[in-house]
Amino acid sequence: MHDHAVDDQLREMLPRLRRFAHWLTRDADNADDLVQSTLERALSRWNSRRDDTALRAWLFAIAWRQFLDGKRRARRRSRMLAFLGRDEAATQPSLEREVIAQSIVHALDRLPEAQRHLLLWVSVEGLSYREVADLLDVPIGTVMSRLSRARAALRQLADGETAQPPVLRLLK
Amino acid sequence: MTDMNDSPSHPDEAAIHAYVDGRLDEAARAHMEAWLDRHPDRAVEIRRWQRDAQQLRAAFGGLSASPVSETLDPARIRLRHRQRVRARIALAAGLLLALVVGGAGGWQAREFTVANVSPPMADALQAYRMFALHPHTQFDATQQHPGELQAWLDRHFRNAAPLPDLGVTGFRPVGGRLLATESGPAAMVLYEDGQGRAISFYIRPPSPRGALPHGERRDGRLAAAYWSGNGYNYALVSRADAPDMRVIREASLHSSI
Repeated sequence: MHDHAVDDQLREMLPRLRRFAHWLTRDADNADDLVQSTLERALSRWNSRRDDTALRAWLFAIAWRQFLDGKRRARRRSRMLAFLGRDEAATQPSLEREVIAQSIVHALDRLPEAQRHLLLWVSVEGLSYREVADLLDVPIGTVMSRLSRARAALRQLADGETAQPPVLRLLK
Repeated sequence: MTDMNDSPSHPDEAAIHAYVDGRLDEAARAHMEAWLDRHPDRAVEIRRWQRDAQQLRAAFGGLSASPVSETLDPARIRLRHRQRVRARIALAAGLLLALVVGGAGGWQAREFTVANVSPPMADALQAYRMFALHPHTQFDATQQHPGELQAWLDRHFRNAAPLPDLGVTGFRPVGGRLLATESGPAAMVLYEDGQGRAISFYIRPPSPRGALPHGERRDGRLAAAYWSGNGYNYALVSRADAPDMRVIREASLHSSI
């Protein structure tokens, strides 16, 4: 494939890749850094890509691994700084969160990271269960049970959030 | 137990999620709905999941309207990647040359090549860009009284050269920040002159290249003077203006004696 055809394919994926990265990093600048390193890796590995893998899932998998690597590096760094006598956690800027008056958004925000990612990937990005299983490197049955737990947890948080009796109970 | 013939079979977990996410075909969805009608308690939960998924899509389904930065364009990234590969090939060729030529001459060739790929104390310039050019830098240590930053630095870098005294030129140390580098822990102390100008002092363990001879270089709008001593590498970084460059040159020459 010619370079410019590859570039066009990647360019078309950029908005979704940025959104995926933003869900992981929750910060626009860090998200763009992650997108950049993902594209660098994607281009250097383009020839080893199997044709049958969907481009979107392949790019997401690269971004996901880069994100995990980055988290490992950050942990090493904070261990080293702790060793030097400085507690980094105390000085990290708090995440700027958009306050949106929707209980579901707030509830999602308070889910554990892994459950939040799973719900965004499946419900919003529309990744197939198989793609998610490949991404996380777990059996598809595990994706299903995690998804059940995540959905139940989200609902529980959202119910607590609104503190209103569920409307459907009136139907009983 | 109801008769299995007129009761839809229990859907598995995968079918439930596929229903929630709207991924069932017509027949499977009809089957699921028939089952839900007979299991109102599960139906309440599953329909709420379905509504949650729809709300998540509504809340997060939009793609950012902010323009994609030029640096993320695949063609640009491809170009930078090629340049790096070429630099690495040049480095490998240089090392090969060093092996072939051998001896002092070969070693110099290696030094030359490595210097081309990654100029000395590039991390010091990077630190300046990250912190000195940002108005809201968070410091690990600040100076309220004279000597505080020196004491802070001494705790982290034993027997290192003292902080340069730039008081005569109007620059005073305001804060220090610890950093992680490939060569080990580093620190940057920022000096300001009260008129928006900044100079940084940077210290870290030497890279595998070993000690640095005293040197100066410009990198875009910044200038650096660097040297080694007492088992550390140092750099002073400023904007590439003549007066500031004179300050870092003189201070570095004074410190590297």
